[in-house]
Amino acid sequence: MDPSEVEFLAEKELVKIVPNFSLDKIYLIGGDLGPFNPGLPVDVPLWLALNFKQRQKCRIIPPDWMDVEKLEEIRELEKREEAFTPVPSPYYMELTKLLLNHASDNIPKADEIRTLVKDIWDTRIAKLRLSADSFISQQEAHAKLDNLTLLEINTIREFLLNSLNCMFKLRSNLQAGSSGRTFTDY
Amino acid sequence: MSEAAFDDSEINQEDDSQEDVMTPAELIAKLEEAWLNEKFSPELQENKSEVVECVMEQLTHMESNLQRVKKGDTKASIHRMEVDRIRFVLTSYLRSRLQKIEKFFPHVLEREKSRADGEPSLLSPEEFAFAKEYYDNTEAYLKAVALKRMPPNLQSIDMLKAVPEPCLDSFVFLRVKEKQENILIEPETDDQREYVVDLEEGSQHLMRYRTIAPLISNGAVKLI
Amino acid sequence: MMFCEKAVELVRELQRLSDGQLPAFNEDGLRQVLQEMESLYDQNQADVNEAKAGRSDFIPSIKLRHSCLLRNQRCVTAYLYDRLLRIRALRWEYGSVLPANVRFHMCAEEVEWFSQYKKSLASFMRSIGGGEGLDITQDMKPPKSLYIQVRCIKDHGEFEIDDGTIILLKKNSQHFLPRWKCEHLIRQGVLEHVLS
Repeated sequence: MDPSEVEFLAEKELVKIVPNFSLDKIYLIGGDLGPFNPGLPVDVPLWLALNFKQRQKCRIIPPDWMDVEKLEEIRELEKREEAFTPVPSPYYMELTKLLLNHASDNIPKADEIRTLVKDIWDTRIAKLRLSADSFISQQEAHAKLDNLTLLEINTIREFLLNSLNCMFKLRSNLQAGSSGRTFTDY
Repeated sequence: MSEAAFDDSEINQEDDSQEDVMTPAELIAKLEEAWLNEKFSPELQENKSEVVECVMEQLTHMESNLQRVKKGDTKASIHRMEVDRIRFVLTSYLRSRLQKIEKFFPHVLEREKSRADGEPSLLSPEEFAFAKEYYDNTEAYLKAVALKRMPPNLQSIDMLKAVPEPCLDSFVFLRVKEKQENILIEPETDDQREYVVDLEEGSQHLMRYRTIAPLISNGAVKLI
Repeated sequence: MMFCEKAVELVRELQRLSDGQLPAFNEDGLRQVLQEMESLYDQNQADVNEAKAGRSDFIPSIKLRHSCLLRNQRCVTAYLYDRLLRIRALRWEYGSVLPANVRFHMCAEEVEWFSQYKKSLASFMRSIGGGEGLDITQDMKPPKSLYIQVRCIKDHGEFEIDDGTIILLKKNSQHFLPRWKCEHLIRQGVLEHVLS
């Protein structure tokens, strides 16, 4: 899956904004939004929040977890545990990236947050590489992957699936060996 | 900005007389799930013509409303952004289906031919028409440019053998929507044994497509 | 020369190139394979008659030639089919009118296949959604609701952005535009992305 498509899915996540304008409720196909009143927080999908933000029509309130203390806890837990720990959002990485790139003035301690999330990501990706490696070398047929996010899966998807397919083909060639053709019509 | 020329309050509130009707939001969720399932599965999934038609209806309706709006209206621009997003999912979904139809056309048509009465059709009517034309066109091409110039006993080929089949033994990532018990995991090598697993609701797994293929069509799992 | 060498060479010719490229149709190579097939077949016809008349020692060479015939057939169809896949991919990349250098490399039958493919695709797209119609060759990338700063490199005239506002794209003017709206103008060299 193209990374831009994962980002596209992440943009559906709701974030809180504080608009500086008034607008009645909007009846979108995917659900209702608003009403919008100056100074009153309201939930909107990220794609819209970023659009408003860029046109200086709102301030974005960062999600609860986008907080130095909370992220430090998550980082420590992620390092301690062998398994993947639950993430604060299924799109934590994309949300961090998009919000920090387009609304960093609304996020306190943006730089620290960027570093913390990157640490968490790196720890998780290192675990993921290890598990992928053992999955292949043990020739497992099933793995449980709770708490992994789509973007994380996406980083190993092609490589892992292609390797598994390739190994499967090699193995089945070894076993079968009898796909001989019969030539009947000379 | 406070006075919106575009009144959208009626658009999505037409059919609430009928019960059991999917809300537009549920419809979009269905489309997105079908999109990801199609993107990640090695073989073509059942067609979702009703979903495609309903989404098209929603889009057309919204677009025709947007035609009547004066330029620069804020609400309208938000609706346009949403329409663009939905149209992307819809076209991407139909593209991945068409790609598989082209890639596996003899097998897709064969499955359609051997389908039992009452079994849901793999292809929508327009996809079926496309697949048949693609088959005929490609076969005619191979004949015209080479096969008819070959010795008499080699002037045709078996398309089912010549075009690769989808590999159902591919691994896929999935999330469980409804708990499933006793899913049989077949061994990978001779010195392993088969075993069963339970798929808890909300859990995620990596396993062979073949094992869980039926669970995709009944909506118990979705591919991720 | 070894049997099937020409046919394998056809396949190699495509394998050497990356996916997006379409080399000139190798009519000469194809003709040589077909000639080899003809002579293999003629020899087999003669030997089969001998074998029927009792010369069972001819059977192994008949079998060998037949395998070569099948292999030639397989390589030729693989060559032709792979070219079709490349042409198909170009349709999705360039739209329904292929660049002249691509068309120049296609044989007459490929042109015919391609025009039929375009027809099938068009009628498929027209019939989507119960006859409503949808161009699925558009919207290839996820839309972005983001805006970017762009500078106009040459005069382009009026341009309507998504919310219906019309702006004038004049040389050296700068604009804050939805990215998805100006991507193709950037590609055409009308606008350039101003990085802040």
